[in-house]
Amino acid sequence: MLTPSTAETVLSAARRGGADFADLYVERWRRRTMRVIDGEVEDAVSAIEQGAGVRLFFGTDVVYAYTNELDDASLGDLVATLVRLRGSGATDGHVDELGAGGLDLRRNGAQGLHAPRIPFDTFDKSWRLERLRELDAGARIDPAVMQVEGRLLEWEQDVLVVTSEGDWVEDRRVRTRCSANVIASDGDQTQTGFVGPGLSVGLELFERELPADIGAAAARRALVNLRAVPAPAGTMPVVIGNGFGGVIFHEALGHLVETTSVARRASVLTDKLGEQVASPVVTYVDDGTTPHGWGSSEFDDEGMATERTVLIDKGILTSYMVDRWGSLKTGYRRTGSGRRENYTYAPTSRMRNTFILPGDVHDTSDLFQGISYGLYAKAMGGGQVMPGSGEYNFAVTEGYVIRHGEIAEPVRGAMLVGKGPDTIKKVDAVATDLSTEPGMCGSLSGSIPTEVGQPHLRVSEIVVGGEA
Amino acid sequence: MTFEQAKTVLVQRAIERGVDAEVLATNARELTLAAAGGRVDEITSATRGGVGVRVVHDGRIGYASSEALDEASLAWVLDEAIENAALQSARGAVILDGRALGRSDLIGEGLSAPVERKAEAITTLESALTADERVDAIAFARYSESESEAVLGSTRGADGGYRNGYAVLMASPIMRQGESVKQGWEIDFGKEFHAIDPTRTSQRILEKVGRHLGATPLATGRYATVFEPEVVATILQLLLFSLSGKTVAEGKSRLAQRLGERIASERFTLVDDPTLEDGLASRPFDAEGTPASRTALIERGVLRSFLHNSDTARRTGQANTGHASRSYASTLGVGATNLLLEAGEGVTLDDGVIVTNLMGVHAGANPISGDVSVQGLGLRVEAGESRPVENFALSFNLFKLLERIEAVGDELQWRPAGGAIVGARSLHVDALSFAGA
Repeated sequence: MLTPSTAETVLSAARRGGADFADLYVERWRRRTMRVIDGEVEDAVSAIEQGAGVRLFFGTDVVYAYTNELDDASLGDLVATLVRLRGSGATDGHVDELGAGGLDLRRNGAQGLHAPRIPFDTFDKSWRLERLRELDAGARIDPAVMQVEGRLLEWEQDVLVVTSEGDWVEDRRVRTRCSANVIASDGDQTQTGFVGPGLSVGLELFERELPADIGAAAARRALVNLRAVPAPAGTMPVVIGNGFGGVIFHEALGHLVETTSVARRASVLTDKLGEQVASPVVTYVDDGTTPHGWGSSEFDDEGMATERTVLIDKGILTSYMVDRWGSLKTGYRRTGSGRRENYTYAPTSRMRNTFILPGDVHDTSDLFQGISYGLYAKAMGGGQVMPGSGEYNFAVTEGYVIRHGEIAEPVRGAMLVGKGPDTIKKVDAVATDLSTEPGMCGSLSGSIPTEVGQPHLRVSEIVVGGEA
Repeated sequence: MTFEQAKTVLVQRAIERGVDAEVLATNARELTLAAAGGRVDEITSATRGGVGVRVVHDGRIGYASSEALDEASLAWVLDEAIENAALQSARGAVILDGRALGRSDLIGEGLSAPVERKAEAITTLESALTADERVDAIAFARYSESESEAVLGSTRGADGGYRNGYAVLMASPIMRQGESVKQGWEIDFGKEFHAIDPTRTSQRILEKVGRHLGATPLATGRYATVFEPEVVATILQLLLFSLSGKTVAEGKSRLAQRLGERIASERFTLVDDPTLEDGLASRPFDAEGTPASRTALIERGVLRSFLHNSDTARRTGQANTGHASRSYASTLGVGATNLLLEAGEGVTLDDGVIVTNLMGVHAGANPISGDVSVQGLGLRVEAGESRPVENFALSFNLFKLLERIEAVGDELQWRPAGGAIVGARSLHVDALSFAGA
């Protein structure tokens, strides 16, 4: 996408302009989105996105510029603009020999750990449409199913990161996701169900996840909600389902251990390394290396190889998620966590695939034993979190009452309310059925693919908000 | 290849392939300066552009776009758009017959001031806020500007372009007086850098946020209500959902069957005017090349028109009002431009509540039913004297509210709301329910 001499020219100009460090990020995406409603194509859109971003560090001050014109003159202008703008403020940068000489570039490329077996250009579009029609047919399991929307996303992203320290890193990321959104109605009320598997794979996604099964799963979820009764309100034990149930800890715990908030002391978990922050049955991991994980990549968007980072080990906080800026600010080691949506954002510390490890309760049904009255939050939807305090509220999209240790009637409209750091201390049992699901995580550096996950687990008490 | 050339190449290739196509190319330059501690501490400088094609073949639509403008990328874009169109069942879509639309420059040299002056503007604003002893912290203080060029071409003869832009100052202080803490924000914007003024803006922000310090709970009850223009802009944005031809075509607008009927107080007249001189959202033509013209939406309370593009007009059997909106990477939609509430005789309030702020409108309002239940902030007026009040929720139905307007303000305030620029004025409504202490 860029020649080494262009990269060197740009980065040297940054260093000569007083920057202590500079990096250049170049990417090219091909994307396709196909949306099918009731078997008919509503819209099909294809796109190429291409651009570059240059980031200059002056001490811990960061300035950023981006463009999608990749010629030498445009990139040169970009750096010149930043140097000129920054020159109007204070300058703590200094020039050394690196600014004048060339860079001794060390090339590093992806090994194809997450490479697709069926790449982007395989099969024609009607093959894809057929899969989405299978999804539609699979969802028609009941006369109450009114509308079925199937969606196929295909992303292919080529990334190049070059740094003033001489790193030249190339990565390719291919991701495919297929989702079903089903609307069911019994004439009285209308409910929806959503299921959307996605991985760092090509169209072989459909071998792992049959389209008809995706449709049927979404339809079942909508139908359960149709026969659900209003949720009870109160404080009670809650069993949270595996997979997307992990979204609570992603939002209300994961975001609190990113240096983006820790370095600004805007997290309640600032300066807590080595302390018991969670129940001893909880080990929480953020892993950028999971083979074909939705949030996996071989390198992060700052050119560092990704790794498996144990954030909480048996309840003890062992690491934050650290990007370059966060490392400069806090002194913590970088963890390959610098990520961004695309070239229009500078990277910040972000999650990759984040999950709670399996515990010691081998039979999931044992989690329900001894609960005389509680809530089984089988599937979770979206929610909100106050980053400073970790206060959250999340909607339960598929929930059941637990009565005398048994799963009883389905309920709808349940909200889980609490503080992440409190809730994680009240996890008292973790099963072994770890699974993960894809999501899109929005933060300072845009919306990025991440996996959330956990085994079934039990929280001794959570405030459940029901229908008023 | 430039964006302009890419547009021409794509139109030519589409003609050779025997498909109808409309090509939109834009190129934008942006600059953002954020200030903290009396200096600029964050800078983002950007140029971004791309070309998007909407192919229509046998009444079927397909889209594709690219930010790379080399031959291979453009060839891929056209192939993909044609393939995407072929997947659809025929739905009667067309590319409108177009004509030469000329080139317009709507900003001239408006943003050409040196960057040092822009940095000075934002540090002046930030310092003026910090200097007020009631200001505890500043969540953000930011200058941004954007300058963009759009060109449109089609196989049906549309050909035109325009250049536009704006400059914005924005800040959000957190103010304290005793135990009372309030955060608010204000924005100052214009087409030209010299139209924005950091000193005036800082005074407005301090007045606007500071007047809420020391607020006490509002007693539950029914009060005569005045909505300030900023709140009215939010309410009009909610109303836009039901006035969009797309909402009508999808069967979701409560107003769909009411053209020609009285839906609001006769004091209420709402127009959308993309031809307004100096209007921030003015433009010579829409995303399908339909020349801009003024559309009366609600005239003295009577519903006159919805906002349409060619597609929603065809689907509803109504006239196209030239409100197609699209970016190079998006699909065809409907969008308002300068949405203007016409002036009334002014509002006065001797006893009641002035609502200055609505929070959580996105979660607390149902645009389809018009039911709104949100948290508010305001001023309680008794015997002509006002004091700040907080912690109340107000509930109303948007459509009923429109019928109950008793007076419209005479002072105009332009506010950004959604993708549109809303020319809002105060509204006086008879008693509304407030849930408070």
